[in-house]
Amino acid sequence: MADRIILACTVVLAGVYFWATAQIPTLELGDPLGPKAFPRMLGVGLLLGAVMLLVEIIRNSAKARLSADKGEVSDEPKWDKHHWLVVAIAVWTAVYIIAFEPLGFILSTASYLLALTVAFNRKRWLMNMLTSVLFAVISYFMFTKLLGVNLPPGILPF
Amino acid sequence: METLTHILNGFVVCMQPMNLWYTFLGVLMGTIIGVLPGIGPSAGIALLIPITYGMNPTSALIMLCGIYYGAKYGGSTTAILIRTPGEAASVMTSIDGYEMARKGRAGAALAVSAIGSFIAGTIGVIGLTLFAVPLASMALKFGPAEYFTLMLFAMTAVSTLTGESPAKGVIATIFGLMIATIGIDLQSGQARYTMGIPEFQDGVGFVVVVVGLFAMAEVFRGLEDIYRGTSAKAMKITGKLWLTKEEWQRSIGPIWRGGIIGFVIGVLPGAGGTIASIMSYTTEKRMSKHPEEFGHGAIEGVAGPESANNSDTAGALVPLLTLGVPGGGATAVMLGAFIMYGVQPGPLLFQNRPDLVWGLINSMYVGNIMLVILNLPLIGLFVRLLYIPVGILYPLIVAISVIGAYAINGSTVDLWLILIFGVIGYVFNKLDIPVAPLVLSLVLGGIMEQSFRQAMTISGGELKIFYNSGITVTLLAMSVISVALPFVMPMLRKLGSKGDES
Repeated sequence: MADRIILACTVVLAGVYFWATAQIPTLELGDPLGPKAFPRMLGVGLLLGAVMLLVEIIRNSAKARLSADKGEVSDEPKWDKHHWLVVAIAVWTAVYIIAFEPLGFILSTASYLLALTVAFNRKRWLMNMLTSVLFAVISYFMFTKLLGVNLPPGILPF
Repeated sequence: METLTHILNGFVVCMQPMNLWYTFLGVLMGTIIGVLPGIGPSAGIALLIPITYGMNPTSALIMLCGIYYGAKYGGSTTAILIRTPGEAASVMTSIDGYEMARKGRAGAALAVSAIGSFIAGTIGVIGLTLFAVPLASMALKFGPAEYFTLMLFAMTAVSTLTGESPAKGVIATIFGLMIATIGIDLQSGQARYTMGIPEFQDGVGFVVVVVGLFAMAEVFRGLEDIYRGTSAKAMKITGKLWLTKEEWQRSIGPIWRGGIIGFVIGVLPGAGGTIASIMSYTTEKRMSKHPEEFGHGAIEGVAGPESANNSDTAGALVPLLTLGVPGGGATAVMLGAFIMYGVQPGPLLFQNRPDLVWGLINSMYVGNIMLVILNLPLIGLFVRLLYIPVGILYPLIVAISVIGAYAINGSTVDLWLILIFGVIGYVFNKLDIPVAPLVLSLVLGGIMEQSFRQAMTISGGELKIFYNSGITVTLLAMSVISVALPFVMPMLRKLGSKGDES
C-alpha cells in the first residue's frame, strides 16, 4: 500500500516538474542545450524510477500472495499510531520558527526547550528548567560574542 | 620523488600546533557525535560548516574529517552498551558486542573495538596514501564527459546499493538532483524553480538539507521512541578494559581482514561502512571454527566489523580526494564542505595544494592515535554521555540545528527548510526510502549538469562524446549494470534454481 502511494507521488512530482520546466523562459545563446535540457532528462529519469517501482510492487505482491498461501503473515504496514505525536512536534517547531526573530533567540529557544523537555523528560522539573534556560542563555552569548554568529536578540535588550 | 617530498611536507603541516589542536577537536567531537544517538557525522559536519566559515581551510577540513572518522569509534561504544548503533555502520557490532556486555565482558568488547579501529583505521590511511597519487594522475586525463559518466556511475551505484529497494534509491537520487536544479542556472543566468522565493535564487543549500534529513528526522524518530517507551538503558562497563591473550589471538585475524575488506569497499562507490561491516561479519562467521558462537558474544564478530567500518572511512576518501567525486552520503557532505571553503578536490588539488591534501591525509595518522587514547583509557568519560536523558538530548539537538542553520544566512527560510527536510527524512525512513542517495545527488547535481553541458558544448551538441572514449564507455556500462543487476538477478537465480531441480 505504502509503495503505491510513493508511486503516485512520484508520478505527480514528475508531472509538476515537467510543467515547471516548461515555465522557464529560454534565450538560446551559445549554449546548445539551454537551462531546460538537463531538467527534462531528470523528469524522464524520475518516470523511469516510477516504472522500476511498479515492477517491484508487482513482484512483491506476487511474493506476498505466495507467502499468504503458505499461511505466513505479511509484514506490510510499518506505520504505527504515533504520527500525531510527530505532527505535534513539527507544529511546535513551526511555532518556534515563527517566534524566533520577533521574540529573539533566548526567549523562543528557552520556551521551545522547556515544553519539549517537560513532555519527554517527565517529572524532572528543576532539571528541565535549568537545562532550557541555561542552554538558551549560554549558547546565545557563546555564539554571538565568541563565534561571531548573529542570532536575533528580539525583545530582550542585549 | 616529488610526491615523497609532498608527503613528508604534509607531516610538517599536520604537526603544526594549530592543526594538532584542530585534529584533536575534530576527533573529540567525532567521538561524542558517535556516542550520542540522534546526531551522526553527516549532520555534525554540516552544522559546523557555517560556524567554521572563514577559518583556514586546511585546519577546518582537518577538523571536519576528524569528525567523520572519529564518529566510527564512538559509534561502537553505544552499540556495545545499549545495542543501538550510535552510528549506522556499527549495526553489526551491536549484535555480538551487546551479548559480550551482557556476559560481563563489555570491557573486552570496547577494547577490541578501539584497538581494531586503530589498526584498521591506520591500514586505511596507508592505503589512501598509496592509492591517491596514481589515481589522481589517471584522473588528470578526465574531461567533462568522463566526469559526467563517473558521477552517473557513483549515483547509480549508491541508489541501488544503499536500500532494500533499488527503485526507491533511484527515486531518491533524482529527487536530490531536482532539488539541485533550484536556483539561478549558472550558464544562462536564468532562475529555475525558485517559486518566487528570493532566497531560493542561490539554490537550496546542502547544509540545511543534511541537517534536516539527518538531525531533525532523527529527533522525530527518537522522541517517538521515548513515547513508545522503547528507548533502551545503557549498561555499565564490566570486566577489564583489555584483552586476554586468547581474546587477542582470536581478534587479530578479523582485524586485518576487516581492515582490508573495509578499505576496498570504501573505495568503491555505493557500498559504504554498513555493507563493509556486514561483509566482514559474514566472512568471519564463515571462516570461524565455532560459527555457533556468533550472535552470542563472539569477539570476532566485534573485531572484524568494527575494523571494517573504520578503514572504510579512509577508503571512501580516495575517490573524494583524487577524483572529486564522493561515493556515498557522508563523503558527499565532506565534498560540500570542501566547496564551501573554496577548495575543489580532485587531481588538480594534488598539484596545486599538496600541503592541504597531505596535511589532511597525514592528520589522520595522528587522529587515529588520539582516538585510541580517547576511546580506551578515557572511555569512561564518554560513556557518561549515555546517561544524559534522551528527552533532554533530542530537544537540544533541534536547538543546535536551528543555530547552525540560522548561522548560514541569518534567515528563517533556512529554519523552515530544516523543518521541512526533517519531516521528509522522517517520512522517507518510514517508507524505506534511503536518504544517502538524495544527499549525494544534491551535492553533485550542479557539477553534474555543468559537466554535461560542457561536454555537449565541446561536441557541438552530439551525444557521441559520451561513448567515444574507453573510460566513458566503461563507466556507462557499469552504471547500466548497477541499475539493471537488481532486476536481472532474481531472474538469473530463478533460471539457476530451475537448472538445479532438473
